Amino acid sequence: MHNFLKLWRTTTVRLTALFIVMFVLFSLVLLGYVGFQSSIEIQRVQARDVFWEIRQLRNIDRQRGPRALAIAVQRLSNQPGRGIYYLGNPAGEMLAGNFRSIPSYILLEPGQYSFSYSPQRAFEGLRDPVEPNSPEALENSQRGQRDAQAVVRSIVLESGFRLVVGRDIVQRRDFTRIIVRTMMLGVIGIILLAAAAGILTARRVLARIDSINATTRQIMAGNMSERVPITKRDDEFDQLATGLNEMLDRIEMLMQGLKEVTDNVAHDLKTPLTRLRNMAEAALRDGSSNEDHKKVLEKTITESDRLISTFNALLLIARVEAGSHSDALKKVDVSRTVIDICDLYSPVVEDAGGTLVMDIEPDIYLNSNRELLSQALVNLLENAIKYSLGDDNKNSDNLDGNKISVGVKTAGGNVRISVCDGGPGIPASEGERVLQRFVRLEKSRTESGSGLGLALVAAVAKLHRGSFKVEDNPSRGTSKTPENPGVCAIISLPKTP
Amino acid sequence: MKILLIEDDREAATYLMQALDEAGHVAHHAADGETGFAMASGMDYDVLIIDRMLPRRDGISIIESLRAEDNRTPVLILSALGEVEDRVTGLRSGGDDYLAKPYAFSELLARVEVLARRASPAEAASVFQVGELTLDRLSREVTRGEQKISLQPREYRLLEFLMKYSGQVVTRTMLLENVWDYHFDPQTNVIDVHMSRLRAKIDRGHKTSLLQTIRGAGYMIRA
Repeated sequence: MHNFLKLWRTTTVRLTALFIVMFVLFSLVLLGYVGFQSSIEIQRVQARDVFWEIRQLRNIDRQRGPRALAIAVQRLSNQPGRGIYYLGNPAGEMLAGNFRSIPSYILLEPGQYSFSYSPQRAFEGLRDPVEPNSPEALENSQRGQRDAQAVVRSIVLESGFRLVVGRDIVQRRDFTRIIVRTMMLGVIGIILLAAAAGILTARRVLARIDSINATTRQIMAGNMSERVPITKRDDEFDQLATGLNEMLDRIEMLMQGLKEVTDNVAHDLKTPLTRLRNMAEAALRDGSSNEDHKKVLEKTITESDRLISTFNALLLIARVEAGSHSDALKKVDVSRTVIDICDLYSPVVEDAGGTLVMDIEPDIYLNSNRELLSQALVNLLENAIKYSLGDDNKNSDNLDGNKISVGVKTAGGNVRISVCDGGPGIPASEGERVLQRFVRLEKSRTESGSGLGLALVAAVAKLHRGSFKVEDNPSRGTSKTPENPGVCAIISLPKTP
Repeated sequence: MKILLIEDDREAATYLMQALDEAGHVAHHAADGETGFAMASGMDYDVLIIDRMLPRRDGISIIESLRAEDNRTPVLILSALGEVEDRVTGLRSGGDDYLAKPYAFSELLARVEVLARRASPAEAASVFQVGELTLDRLSREVTRGEQKISLQPREYRLLEFLMKYSGQVVTRTMLLENVWDYHFDPQTNVIDVHMSRLRAKIDRGHKTSLLQTIRGAGYMIRA
């Protein structure tokens, strides 16, 4: 019962049911029309036949006399079929024919009549006996005593004889009934077939849906790696399943990201918070001078500011990765954006003892987010300044090594934004790892910074459906030294995102 | 200056009220949106500080209603939502400035004072004058005494902003927002580098230094 209900609720079965109902209604209208038309047609043919027969019989009477007429009537009477014939003299005695019980008013007044009669009595002894078990006999007995209907035409011949020719309209009804019955059978057959087909299709559809539902339940139960099975048919369900699977991949990735963030927050925010707390505790315990307290408080503010900025960076990365900015992408002059940031930073680079070189193709427009793109560039530039112009790494006597070059150019369908420096670079084995949150290479552990800079750049690149990579600086040429091979950070954004 | 603070966090409000008082302002406080709106529309304030998320009525709706009543009092929006989009919604509703939490009090104070000044006609003046330093906004010429100073376009805009609010503290974030149109916090001392260049052009060879660094807050230009 439950299964039946479930099946009934499927769209396929409901549609099939609807079609069946419509089909039956349509068939009924058609049946009615065909029945009505054929009955009219038969009536017309019968009337014409009767008319012709009377004309012929009248001619025979006129040309060859009553005797020949009687023979002709008798011959017609003996033909199979439902013709009704009666030839009688003016006294009302029947001379020939196959119909005994013509009502007397018909004989008196010529014209067209319709009347009911009992076939058993009317034809008794005048017609070939009906086979006892034939359908006709059965029908006759079922129909009872006075159920036959005749349409006749009676005339008075010149000789004074009464001639009645007619047809039993039962024949007409039978014909109509046969047509209707045949069509009914057809309709019933089609209904059964359609219902069967509907149920079969619905069951197939249900099976596919059930498999998808089973997967979603598994996933809800916590098994995130479950996927909807895809068949080889590549039908609409496979397309749906593919779409669902892609969505699940994305969700799984986001959840993974969220987990990473929480782990990182736990680790990288708890550490400075603990430091903060310890600092305050120590200041209280020591009971030292106001001056010392003031110093600790100032340090507390600095420390909490740094915490806040780390927290902001984390939130920003999470929001960018979740794609909440993707609807805010507008047409942005990328060249202008990069130049503006370079303007902002070139004094900083110069103060740090380097030079900022720009190689920027003009008028490159992209659907982008100026604020995020700028922030990403700032992160790259600040990294370049920190690692290639920092005190430890400065190529004091090597001007080329203190060059930071920023480039924007179109290559293929991509816009390539690069920031290259002459710093110590990143070992090839770490190229992927530095893009993750809070990852800082051993060398730079002691430097300030949150370790979130490149993670944000990668997230921004992904928001633009682009990519971000870090590789050896190819343009260092001869000035390349093993300690300072230089590094290029390259954001590659597709022109039509 | 008469300031209305609409903020539901009691602790933050107490701290702010005290700090505003110490800075020499008269501050009133409302703890929820309805009260805040009634006070703001019933009394004359120089600046309104409105938290975005408030009980009974949110900040954005207060600002929209005030603006609909043709109340032009400058509004500083405080919010935990610091994204650019949030900022845009806040400013579009009629707010004049937007400050994301957590903030430094010096930042808030600087912004409030600049906002109050905004309504004054001095802001629209075509010539700014600080001591012997003159900035002509029509010819874009800067002179100190008799000496003409040539500035890069960005340096000019930096100086223009400082002189517009001369005698008031201007924070680094305010400069980054108004002169460069960026809303993020740079890690390094970008603004300081630009300021020291500007200072070199303006103050070099003069006895009095017009461009002053206010420790823990920002910069100020004054005679």
